[in-house]
Amino acid sequence: MVTPVLPKLVGQRVKRREDPRLIQGRGTYVDDIKIAGMQHLAFKRSDVAHGRIRAIDTRAAEAMEGVEAVFTGAQIAELLAPMPIGTSFPSPPHRALAVDVVRYGGEPVAVVVARDRYVARDAADAIAIDYEILPAVVDPELAMTGKPAILHPEFENNVALPPLPNGTGVSRDGKTVDDSAIDKAFAEAEVVISQRMVNHRVVPNTMEPRGVVAHYEPGKESMTIWSSTQAPHILKTMIAAMTGLGQHQVRAIAPEVGGGFGAKINIYGEDYVAAAISKRLGIPVKWVEDRSEAFVATTHGRDLIAYVDLAAKRDGRVLGLKMRLIADVGAYNMLLTAAIPTLTMMMASATYDIPAIRATLTEVFTNKTPTDAYRGAGRPEATYFVERAMDMLARELKMDPADVRRKNFIRPDKFPFTTQTGAVYDSGNYEAALDRALEAANWKQLKGARDAARAEGRLVGLGLSMYVEVCGFGPSSGMATGGWEHAQVTVERDGRITAVTGVSPHGQGNETTFAQMLADQFGVPLEHITIHHGDTAVVKQGIGTFGSRSQAVGGTALHLAGARVKAKMARFAAELLEAHEEDLVFESGTIFVRGAPAAAKTFAEVAAYAYVPVPLPEGLEPGLSEEAFFEPSNMTYPFGCHIAMLEIDRETGEPRLLKFVAVDDAGNLINPLIVEGQIHGGLAQGIGQALIEETVYDQSGQLLTGSFLDYALPRATDFPRFELHNTVTPTPLNPFGAKGIGEAGTLGSTPAVVCAAVDALSELGVKHIDMMLRPEKLWRIIGTPPAPAHGGRA
Amino acid sequence: MDISGTYLFNAPPRQVWSLLMDTTAIARCVPGCRELRPVGPDRYETELSVAVAAISGDFKGTIELADKLPPQSYKLIVSGTGRPGFVRGTATITLAPHESGTAVQVAASANAGGLIARVGQRLLEGVARMMMDRFYQCLASQLDSGQG
Repeated sequence: MVTPVLPKLVGQRVKRREDPRLIQGRGTYVDDIKIAGMQHLAFKRSDVAHGRIRAIDTRAAEAMEGVEAVFTGAQIAELLAPMPIGTSFPSPPHRALAVDVVRYGGEPVAVVVARDRYVARDAADAIAIDYEILPAVVDPELAMTGKPAILHPEFENNVALPPLPNGTGVSRDGKTVDDSAIDKAFAEAEVVISQRMVNHRVVPNTMEPRGVVAHYEPGKESMTIWSSTQAPHILKTMIAAMTGLGQHQVRAIAPEVGGGFGAKINIYGEDYVAAAISKRLGIPVKWVEDRSEAFVATTHGRDLIAYVDLAAKRDGRVLGLKMRLIADVGAYNMLLTAAIPTLTMMMASATYDIPAIRATLTEVFTNKTPTDAYRGAGRPEATYFVERAMDMLARELKMDPADVRRKNFIRPDKFPFTTQTGAVYDSGNYEAALDRALEAANWKQLKGARDAARAEGRLVGLGLSMYVEVCGFGPSSGMATGGWEHAQVTVERDGRITAVTGVSPHGQGNETTFAQMLADQFGVPLEHITIHHGDTAVVKQGIGTFGSRSQAVGGTALHLAGARVKAKMARFAAELLEAHEEDLVFESGTIFVRGAPAAAKTFAEVAAYAYVPVPLPEGLEPGLSEEAFFEPSNMTYPFGCHIAMLEIDRETGEPRLLKFVAVDDAGNLINPLIVEGQIHGGLAQGIGQALIEETVYDQSGQLLTGSFLDYALPRATDFPRFELHNTVTPTPLNPFGAKGIGEAGTLGSTPAVVCAAVDALSELGVKHIDMMLRPEKLWRIIGTPPAPAHGGRA
Repeated sequence: MDISGTYLFNAPPRQVWSLLMDTTAIARCVPGCRELRPVGPDRYETELSVAVAAISGDFKGTIELADKLPPQSYKLIVSGTGRPGFVRGTATITLAPHESGTAVQVAASANAGGLIARVGQRLLEGVARMMMDRFYQCLASQLDSGQG
């Protein structure tokens, strides 16, 4: 009998194994967790953006039937110290519940513990708070002058981070600055592009809102905490530190997580409060965020202003770039808030060999929800600013936007390439990605179609954007949490494989891609492999899922652990087969001596022997379970080119995307189907920011786009069919040559769409438009085009 | 949010003024208002039921009359807090003879916070205008029916 050889799965379009349970409602999310005796939390949140708490009256809430307890900020402050952040940046004290002063609308002020969610909510509503309303700080540039109020007295003029320089002539610690190179670049320039640009604030809007269940068991002196988090091991560490427990007493579990987009890396006040209350009262408690809360209580993304100056020769060669960034970080520093805009500085060189760069970053506190990571986290902002400036340069020089970029690319033979802002790009071939995109989009023909449409009086434009992304976050030198990943692989007694990984997915499909890798490594069917994640009692160590690191870091750790088990299994098999282990072949669930498949031992036979090793081969311990930690030497830098064609209705100002072509190079792909899914999601969010998503605050700091009535989330009908293509430039930094793709879709898409809109309106003299491309804004521009002598338009 | 309006009353300013100061008439005419309880000179507490878009709820509030210049003008300072958030507003009311009656001019500015602003802001101005219209039309009709 001949056993058919199993096909290799890495590189195949394997359907996600996790989807059937998720789309049939069989997944277990935080809100599905039920424990006997569990009580429910509801938070009373501030209705004012900035105010001093004069009085809190909790009597009516406490008197309600079913209410177990009510805690104010002052009472919680006795149980919890101010919340720590994950960076070394200066940070004001931030209490889990506000004490004395509230600094953004939605900041939690008190919490109710009650029999059920409904009683808890009614009781929270019955808490009366008297505020002295203070002036709200809404405009970050005004805030930097100390007006109209100061949020944190220890931060003068609301400046969270005073101007931090990076780039040519700046020492590594940012303390000494030499302007000669950047000044020379601008002195030699034949053309300078200067533009203020805004990369506006967006709300992450995960499909599953946040939630937490905390269960302290006094008899065991241990805490189990379920949370909708991207990083259960970070959660465990922080909960232990904040509740006074050792890390051996805390178990954190991320069950199914319905999206994170970076907003669920942070450990929130609600997590700490749930843990502290459970420990104090000795009962399990649950809190699940409602949609309206999510708009204000979960971190926002982006919100950067850039003053960009680009110096170039008339042939299109870029000599220098200045980028002065102002980040509106909201009311407090959260886990990574302060570090996110530094990534914008780091990526200021984009795909270009720019000889002189000066980036400067100022971070400012305002009375808004704090910002933190949001899909792309700092890199989409850099891409947007640089690509818009390159596009303006092309327009100024009357060059094709592809040509001006081609002229400035980092050449393929220059990798690894260190940029002026300190990023070390691992590998790249930008011209290949550009050419692939031009070819796929049929660029020349597309320009002809645009010009023909214009001849009919239609407003049609083309936009092109390159991008380079940072993935595979590590190593430990750049991350306070450690920058490695951990995995363990066990061949069970029946020959099936159980693997655990420290990267816990929230939509990435690791249960499929990781099983594909192990299936190939061991020569077993995919169905024989189970991937565990998210439970710190099962997964001993880990960092988490963010910075597109699952495959490049987590996948590599798993591969290394698998290799160790396989080596040990080969020794047991060699004993049974009376052969040398280096002569063995692992194929189709069997192990045999090369050239003699008939005498194969099955996985089950070898595994059974390994667990009842009679006789025990010399120098071997029983069992088949190994682990590995992988610390990457650096991050990976995937890249690509996105092209958009867009039409603006001359009568209504409504923009419509006609065509979208994306070429993405993420190195080698484990599963192209999952990669395409990730790109689709990234494109939706990147295009969504350009076209319809906008976070609006009024002058008193009230969020006006606080529901899906007013905050436009992109839908499938907002997009044309995405045309996806790729090039393959492997990374030398891990054995798979895989770079990462989770966030990349948000980088090139936003500038491509805005460039297309500017191109569509170029006949009116428009040189720049700030996002989002609201029809009203475009309609006004069409009605009153800017005076031809002047530049950009906000 | 700024709203303004002018309302015509079929009575001379002095008579309209006393109507505007009559708390019973006011309580009857403020939509959703149950009563006005005096808590000091020209200061009242009240409870209001309001519904804006998907949000409805009871507000506890205070109403204060200030800068009274009978029968020409006064200021109305309103603040309310409730489950859906808060509202605060100031209105300047001016009375002037108009033909045989009185023109009452109202210029108000208001702001809201919390859920009512986050979810209902697009409808808030319309609701506020509608409530103001109904209030003054109600008072004017009381005058017409001789109840004032």
